[in-house]
Amino acid sequence: MRATMKLKQGSFLWYLYLDKLYCLLSVRNVKALLEYFHLLDVHHNNTLNDVLFYHFLHHVTSWKRTQIMVVFNMLDWNATGEIGFDQFYMLVCILLAQQNHLEEQFIFRHSRPVFELLDLDGELRIGPDNFHMYNFLFNIKKQDLKELYHDFDITGDRRLNYKEFKLFTIFTMDKYQERQKAEKDEEKGKKDLLKKKRLHQVNVNLKQFLGINVSESRI
Amino acid sequence: MEEKPYKASLGSHGSDISSPDNDIRNLWTRATLSQPNLNVPRSRVGEDSDVEGSSSGTKSRRWYNQKAPRDSLDGEDKDSFRQEDLNEPSLLELELRRAGSLGSRLEEEEDVDSKPDTEISSSESSSLNILKHTPHRAYWMEQQNRLPLPLMELMENEALEILTKALRSYRSGIGRDHFLTKQLHGCIEGLKRRRSKRLNILGH
Repeated sequence: MRATMKLKQGSFLWYLYLDKLYCLLSVRNVKALLEYFHLLDVHHNNTLNDVLFYHFLHHVTSWKRTQIMVVFNMLDWNATGEIGFDQFYMLVCILLAQQNHLEEQFIFRHSRPVFELLDLDGELRIGPDNFHMYNFLFNIKKQDLKELYHDFDITGDRRLNYKEFKLFTIFTMDKYQERQKAEKDEEKGKKDLLKKKRLHQVNVNLKQFLGINVSESRI
Repeated sequence: MEEKPYKASLGSHGSDISSPDNDIRNLWTRATLSQPNLNVPRSRVGEDSDVEGSSSGTKSRRWYNQKAPRDSLDGEDKDSFRQEDLNEPSLLELELRRAGSLGSRLEEEEDVDSKPDTEISSSESSSLNILKHTPHRAYWMEQQNRLPLPLMELMENEALEILTKALRSYRSGIGRDHFLTKQLHGCIEGLKRRRSKRLNILGH
């Protein structure tokens, strides 16, 4: 069971639509988001400082203070103490991906920016600690995390470079699609079973009806 | 009806909060609220949209009234357009422009010279069609934007809540007299003024 973050129902972000295939917002939605960003950008620097950022995320998500500040530090990778619209947009896409259970798809589609976000030290390698720290963003299961370093750490340095990370995203995407397919098949199976039951019931009713009619005509 | 250039200047946000009267977002809200007054002749619509086009100083960020491109990424949007656009390609655009222009008239209250007679006479026949669709204008806009109708209201109310909480943090963190606190306080006041204006219009 996933411990997912919930977006506040009825909040502005809640109405935005993340494309399920590309995991991006439409241009129209981005424009609306930009308006929203400008409303929060009270100091007219085209940025949000940590206080505004905290109150924004505290208002729209169920994240705790520590989680919010971890996200802020991740987005503010050059330590300016503020985040711009690009980072804000990225964050909103992550939030919406999580809200819609599209984490695997999101990581797969945006593997490069996600890798760069997770690569805090800029060493072009991600250690397991970083993954663990940001796990609440992408909901990678513990088992998957173990497998990730066991199966994809080809260089054997206990850290993933981009190619290894990309392989992982392809692998998780495959697993995600298989899961989706299995769910669909299961649903289809249930529907077929229901259909058969209904058909059987109709047949029984028909036989009963015909049986009564035949006996009546004999009389 | 010819296409007017899209005049959005998304970056220029600075003056909006300080001068709420000039804010285009108010116009949109008022335009939505003034639906009972929409039964105006086609000629007036032409005038107003002309005003809008000619006054280069007004205003920007009317993206929510813009007609979406046909090659929009949203498949559902495409479908919704197809139904309307097959018969009258410019009708939707006209409706949307009209919504904006009525709003701008509410805001500006300007008298403008009337359009040439030719346009008035040519528009007589289509005015009936427009009126027929008027009650659905709001629905159309919602469909196009795929966002809730009182969007700016929603955004501003939410921003107000967030900023009010932030103001408390500012006051406790850097003090009441810090210029950042004052700036934030000014923004909140601006948003509150805008909201009360909106509510006043709703009351009328």
